[in-house]
Amino acid sequence: GSRLLKGYRGGHVVIRFALGGCANRPFFRIVAAHSKRARDGKYLEQLGCLDPLPNVHGERVAGLNLERLRYWLGCGAQLSRPAEKLLGLAGFLPLHPMTVTGAERLRQRRQREQQVGTAPADG
Amino acid sequence: MAALGARGCSAVPARLRALWGRHARRGFAQDAGEAKAAKPRPAFTDEAVQTLLYKMTGIDLHKVFRPVKKELKPPQYKLMTEAQLQEATRKAIEEAKEKLIMPPVLDEREPIDDVLAEDKFLEGTETTKYVFTDLTYSTPHRERFIVVREPNGVLRKATWEERDRMIQIFFPKEGRRVIPPALFKDEHLGNVFQQDRHEDVLNMCIAQFEPDSPDYIRVHHRTYDDIDKRAKYDLLRSTRHFGGMVWYLVNRKRTDGLLIDMINRDLLDDATSLISLYHMLHPECQSAKEAEEGKLKGVDLIKVFVKTESQREGYIQLALQAYEEAMATSTAS
Repeated sequence: GSRLLKGYRGGHVVIRFALGGCANRPFFRIVAAHSKRARDGKYLEQLGCLDPLPNVHGERVAGLNLERLRYWLGCGAQLSRPAEKLLGLAGFLPLHPMTVTGAERLRQRRQREQQVGTAPADG
Repeated sequence: MAALGARGCSAVPARLRALWGRHARRGFAQDAGEAKAAKPRPAFTDEAVQTLLYKMTGIDLHKVFRPVKKELKPPQYKLMTEAQLQEATRKAIEEAKEKLIMPPVLDEREPIDDVLAEDKFLEGTETTKYVFTDLTYSTPHRERFIVVREPNGVLRKATWEERDRMIQIFFPKEGRRVIPPALFKDEHLGNVFQQDRHEDVLNMCIAQFEPDSPDYIRVHHRTYDDIDKRAKYDLLRSTRHFGGMVWYLVNRKRTDGLLIDMINRDLLDDATSLISLYHMLHPECQSAKEAEEGKLKGVDLIKVFVKTESQREGYIQLALQAYEEAMATSTAS
């Protein structure tokens, strides 16, 4: 059949990151698309972008079209986990519990490494 | 500079409000409460002040429509009757008025210092900060949400410099760069002033910075100071920056150089407008009171002003004498 007009069985709208850019230079577009589509394939609408590498001023730039985001969320779009975490960091959604858990786990791991570091020094 | 006017937004002329929009409305609404008992201080945007500044700017069509560096085209010649020539000149004056609309003069903006959330447990997870910009097309840039999540977990509103940079990245404006050119640093402005390119620097400054940013105000003040120091007022005459320069000088009472320049160029009307503007802004000075009592006009007004308010009396008296001699010889011959 035609490859242009794809009809799916099931599937839903998701708001997720589409990866672009070049080798060793990622760039994410925050995109509303069908869940069955390819990650970088045809999307419904681009809602923003995220540059994961820090710029000259040491900041990671992200743009979010909040009005259209609210529209798609109102239409019943799901969010991918990285998208939820990013919106939590932005303050649009409450902080994702895994962000908090991840921070706690990192802190505990660092503490354990520090203790392991000091113990052989003593003993 | 003291806070601008207390007259409220109704005093702003319609065409200026259409151009300056929020700046004019926001800047003056705050002072509406104060100074109602005393006579309100004239603001940059009052009709009377603007008329005086506009008269002093002058319209030299040859300078306003001086060739901008563009693609080279051979000149076009048209054969016209007297009436058509007058019509063309009238249209040119209309267009010149458009080009001579003065850019706004505002107070320096207050730095933004607002914390939205503090999440101390996020400390140590990231090494660099995140800057989030709201890309909704319909919000005005002044109301746009731009927040920064620091590595220590604090979520704060972005500073003015970060805001300007982000807005230029996502909504680029022509003539503006994301990082301001090195030209606007103090050490490099000197080079530009050597080449007498004050007007170009001011045009670039208007394109690059917002009118209430400290950089805009600093560059403008440096330019005006340099022009005043070297008495090169003619560089800005008949451009849209002249009004701003006169406003700056009159507020700091450094009008002598300008006055001498005007008398030397036989612009007596401009000199009288300058002095009336001075009296409007500083009504408590002696020459203002004398002028009001005597209802002086023209050369008498200048003489009274020179006696009481100026520092360089000698020079101005000399210039006035030279002017009167020139008038006498021209009427005699």
